Amino acid sequence: MATDMQVDVIVVGSGPSAVNAAYPLVEAGLTVRILDVGNRDATYASAIPEAPFSDLRRNDPQQHRYFLGEDFEGIGFDHVGSGAQVTPPRQYVCKDAQRLQPIESSTFHPLQSLAEGGLGAAWGAGSPSFTTADLAGFQISYADLVPHYEAVAARIGVSGACDDLLPFLGRLSAMQPPLENDSNSTSIMSRYSRQRTRINRDGFYLGHPRLAILSRPHRGRDANRYWDMDFWTDAGKSVYRPRWTIDELRGCPNFSFIGQRFVRTFEETAESVIVHALDLASGCMEQHRGRALVLAAGALGTTRIVLRSLKQFGRRVPIVCNPHTYMALVNLNGFGRASRDARHSMAQLCIVYAPDGPTRPFTIGHFYSYRSLFLFRLMKDSPLPHRESLKIMRLLSPSIGLLVLQHQDHPTPAKYCTLIPGSDGEDRLIIDYALSAGEQARIDEIETNIRRALLRLCCVDVRTARPGHGASAHYAGTLPMSATDDELTTDKNGRLRPMRRIYVADGSVFPCLPSKGLTFTMMANADRIGCHLRTVLRP
Amino acid sequence: MSTTRVTSALDEATTELRSEAIRFSRYLVDCEPSEALIERYLLANTLLFQDRPTARDRTLLAFAHKHPWSIPLLDAGTALSRSAPRFRRKLLVMMAILETTPELIDHTAPIEHYIGPAQLALRLGRAGIVAALKLIAGVVLVHVVAKGRDGH
Repeated sequence: MATDMQVDVIVVGSGPSAVNAAYPLVEAGLTVRILDVGNRDATYASAIPEAPFSDLRRNDPQQHRYFLGEDFEGIGFDHVGSGAQVTPPRQYVCKDAQRLQPIESSTFHPLQSLAEGGLGAAWGAGSPSFTTADLAGFQISYADLVPHYEAVAARIGVSGACDDLLPFLGRLSAMQPPLENDSNSTSIMSRYSRQRTRINRDGFYLGHPRLAILSRPHRGRDANRYWDMDFWTDAGKSVYRPRWTIDELRGCPNFSFIGQRFVRTFEETAESVIVHALDLASGCMEQHRGRALVLAAGALGTTRIVLRSLKQFGRRVPIVCNPHTYMALVNLNGFGRASRDARHSMAQLCIVYAPDGPTRPFTIGHFYSYRSLFLFRLMKDSPLPHRESLKIMRLLSPSIGLLVLQHQDHPTPAKYCTLIPGSDGEDRLIIDYALSAGEQARIDEIETNIRRALLRLCCVDVRTARPGHGASAHYAGTLPMSATDDELTTDKNGRLRPMRRIYVADGSVFPCLPSKGLTFTMMANADRIGCHLRTVLRP
Repeated sequence: MSTTRVTSALDEATTELRSEAIRFSRYLVDCEPSEALIERYLLANTLLFQDRPTARDRTLLAFAHKHPWSIPLLDAGTALSRSAPRFRRKLLVMMAILETTPELIDHTAPIEHYIGPAQLALRLGRAGIVAALKLIAGVVLVHVVAKGRDGH
C-alpha cells in the first residue's frame, strides 16, 4: 500500500458534479485531487474526419467504421432500452462499469460510467434550472442555487431563449443566444405561434430548449458548427463535456487528476480522510489522504462506496429515477418540404405540459429531429418489409422527430437499493424499482394529454416506446438531503451523516426528481457545495 | 471430420453468405454490391451471429437460398414477429452496410428536397399498398414454409 501526500480535498469521480465541485476549490487555491478510472475513447476520436454529417455520408468510404462501429456494435437488434442513444464512438462511456460495479436487478437497467467525464461524456446537454416548484422537498431553495446556476452557466456555456418557457426553465443572466432550429422544428414552432393562445389554455407550452451547447465561442471552445455530428464526435467542443473543465483545471498547479483509480472505501480520522483506491494498472491498493472528501461518482457509484465504507451491507436505501418515454412523431407540417442541411443534432424544441401553471409540478420533454441517425435504426422497429420501409422512411424521415419525455419521481417503499456481499468477494448492488398503479396511471394520463396537444400542432405520435426503468440515466435520492439527523442522509451542505469530513455532491442528495433533467442543477449544487467547503477549509 | 471436409463446409458457407449479400442488396436497393461490401457483410455476419441459428431460422434461410424470389415475401411475412428472426436481422445488417456506403447514398439517404403533396401521397400510397400485399402473401408463405419444416 502506497501512502500519498495529503491534499486539502479528494474528489471521487470526474463527471459533471465532480468537476464543478472541484472548480471553486481549485480557484480558492486549495489542493484538489480527483481520483477516477477515467476511461477514454481509444478507437474513434481520431478516426472521424472533421466534416458535416452529410459530407461524410456522401464522401467517406470508411464511414461504416465509426457509424456502425469496428465490430458493428452500432447495429443493435434489441428493442429500445437503456443506452439506446449511445452511438459506437460513445460506447466507451459504459466500458468496465458493470464488471467493476456489478448491479443485479430484473426491474431496473441503469447506465453507469467509469469514463473521464462520467455519463456527462454522452450527455444530451439539457440544462434547465430547477424552479421553486421543482425544489419542493429539498433542503435548499431556488435563491440558494441562483448564484451557482450563474457560475456554472458562465463556466460551461449555456444557450437558450427568453420565450414562453422562461417561467418553467428559470431566468439565467449568463446565457448565450439560442441555437438555430432545423427546418422540422421551425415548422412546428410556426404552427405553435399561430395557435399559441388555444394551446396554452390547455397547459401546453413550446420553446427553445436550454442547452449546454455554445452558440458563440466561449473559453477556447467553438460555437456549434451545425454539422449534425454531435451524437458522434466532440469536435469543436461546442457541446459541454466535463472533460473541458478538467482540461482547464489541469492548468492549475494545485490540481491533480489521477486516472485508473477505482475508489473502494474511505475512512475518517480526527484529522483527515483516507481513501482506499485500486490502481487498475498495477492491481495494487493504495491510500490517498485529504482534509475532506467529496463523493461525486454518480448516485449509484457514490452509494456503493458509502455503503461499503460504513459496512451497511443489506441496508435498504431509497432510489428515484425519471421514468422515460420516447414518442416517435411525424410532423405533418414538414411533409414534402425542402430541409436545411445545416443543423445541430441535440434537442431542437422543449415542450412543457403544465395544466396547473409553473408553480405546480409539470412535465417536460425534448424534441429531437431524426437526422444524424440512420434509417436502418427506424426500419428495425417498423412492421413493414424492409424495401418498402426504406422507401417510406426516406420520404418521412425529414419530418420525423423523437419526443423524449421525462416524468417526475418520488421515493416509495417499492424503489430501493441494497449492497450485498458477493460470494466471489465482490459486492453487488441490488436494485428493486416499481411504479405504483397510481404513478403509472398519472404518467399515462399526462402522455395522453400531451399527445392531444401535439395533434393540435399536427404532430402525430406513431409509436410510443418505454425503454424501461433506469433508462433515463437520472439516478438520485440514495443519500437524500434531510432536515432530520438520520444516518445515510446529507445535510443542506452535502455533508454525509454521521461523518464530518465526507461530502456528497452528485444526484444522491436530491430527495426526489422533478420532470426536468437533473444534470445542470447537480452541477450548480456541486458548485455550491464546493463553495461551502472552501469556507470550511479556509475560514 | 477430416480437414478437407471442414474446409469444404466453410467454403460452402462463405459462398452461401456471398450470394446472400448479393441477393439482399438487389432486393433492398436494386444494386449489385461491390466486393468490399460483400466482404463487409461476411465480417458482420461473423461478428454478429455467433450463436447457433434456431430450427426456424435455418428453415427460412434455406428456403430463401433455394428460392431467391421468396426473399421479399419472407421479409414481409416475418415483419410482424415479436422477435425478429435471423433472416430479417441479416437483412437489417445488409441495410446498415448499404446505408453507410457513399456510392449508394441516392438509394438510401432521406429525401430532403421539395416534393409536391400529390407526388408524396402517390409515393407513400404505392409503397403502402405494395407493403400490405406483401405482408398478406408473406404471412401465408412463412406459415407454409414453417409447416413444411414441422412436417419433416
